[in-house]
Amino acid sequence: MRDDDLDRILYNEQVIVPSSGFVVAVMDAVRRESLAPSPIPFPWKRALPGLFAAGVALVSIFVAGIAMFIQGTTSQLFMSQLQSLFAPIFERCNTLGAGWITFALIVSIASAKLSMHLATRKTRIVDKANAR
Amino acid sequence: MGAAEDQTCVAKVLSGDSSTFEGIVRRWQGPLVNLAYRFCRDRGRAEELAQEAFLRAYRSLDRWRREAAFSTWLFALATNLYCSELRRIPVRTVPLDDVAEPRDLRGADRGLENEDRDRLVRRAAFALPPKYREALILFYFHDMDIPSTARSLGLPQGTVKARLSRGREMLRSKLSQRLVSLQLTKEA
Repeated sequence: MRDDDLDRILYNEQVIVPSSGFVVAVMDAVRRESLAPSPIPFPWKRALPGLFAAGVALVSIFVAGIAMFIQGTTSQLFMSQLQSLFAPIFERCNTLGAGWITFALIVSIASAKLSMHLATRKTRIVDKANAR
Repeated sequence: MGAAEDQTCVAKVLSGDSSTFEGIVRRWQGPLVNLAYRFCRDRGRAEELAQEAFLRAYRSLDRWRREAAFSTWLFALATNLYCSELRRIPVRTVPLDDVAEPRDLRGADRGLENEDRDRLVRRAAFALPPKYREALILFYFHDMDIPSTARSLGLPQGTVKARLSRGREMLRSKLSQRLVSLQLTKEA
């Protein structure tokens, strides 16, 4: 089969006309969308210092690890150095209750994700029902 | 309604008059529903997909950069949505090797023969792997214009050309066996 034949066949596709209620269904969905309160934006300004600090900490740990390997330290020495590096951090985390804060954050994120997922699914079901 | 009117509508919607969006929906409903139909071959699902595309366009109108035509942005957004939705919930496609043979055309007129052959070609094209199928669908939807196809898919033109070429090659090799057998049946 030649390219021309393929082009002719695939180009001449059936054209369908949208159903009469299509525009109304879309505009109903748009109206609902415009009436819904706008989502609360993520507080980037407040989160940025924390994110930056976390990034710096991660990079420095990574760099320190690589540097220790390059210097040819034994694994035992490396472990002890790692322990001495992390010990004050863990101690500080314990006094601040970092474990509980992390747990609370995870629970908050999970509940927010679940409610967003349920809300999106409900909107889709309503949209489909309206479209029909 | 032309490109300038699209721009006016968008400006009005962004200033808070959401009812103006109806003009955009009326203008682009045909192309968007037809594009979705080419992707899924199901009228109901095509309208659902097109509705979701309009809703997504409404939500992200402020992200349309004016240097590209509104239609280019809208088609890229719709294509992205259709591809991801159809990958999430795929349409039941018949594997290329299972595409039905055309019926025996001995004694049938030329029109019926062509009709069967065309149907076979379309079904075979629909059974191609997604990346080749998507390139072919958009290429023919955009009147065989490679730059528009590339913009809709968000891919370099070279990649689109390669996918079109490979897709056609796959189609030809699969179809040639079937069309030869059809020819032999006809001559017997």
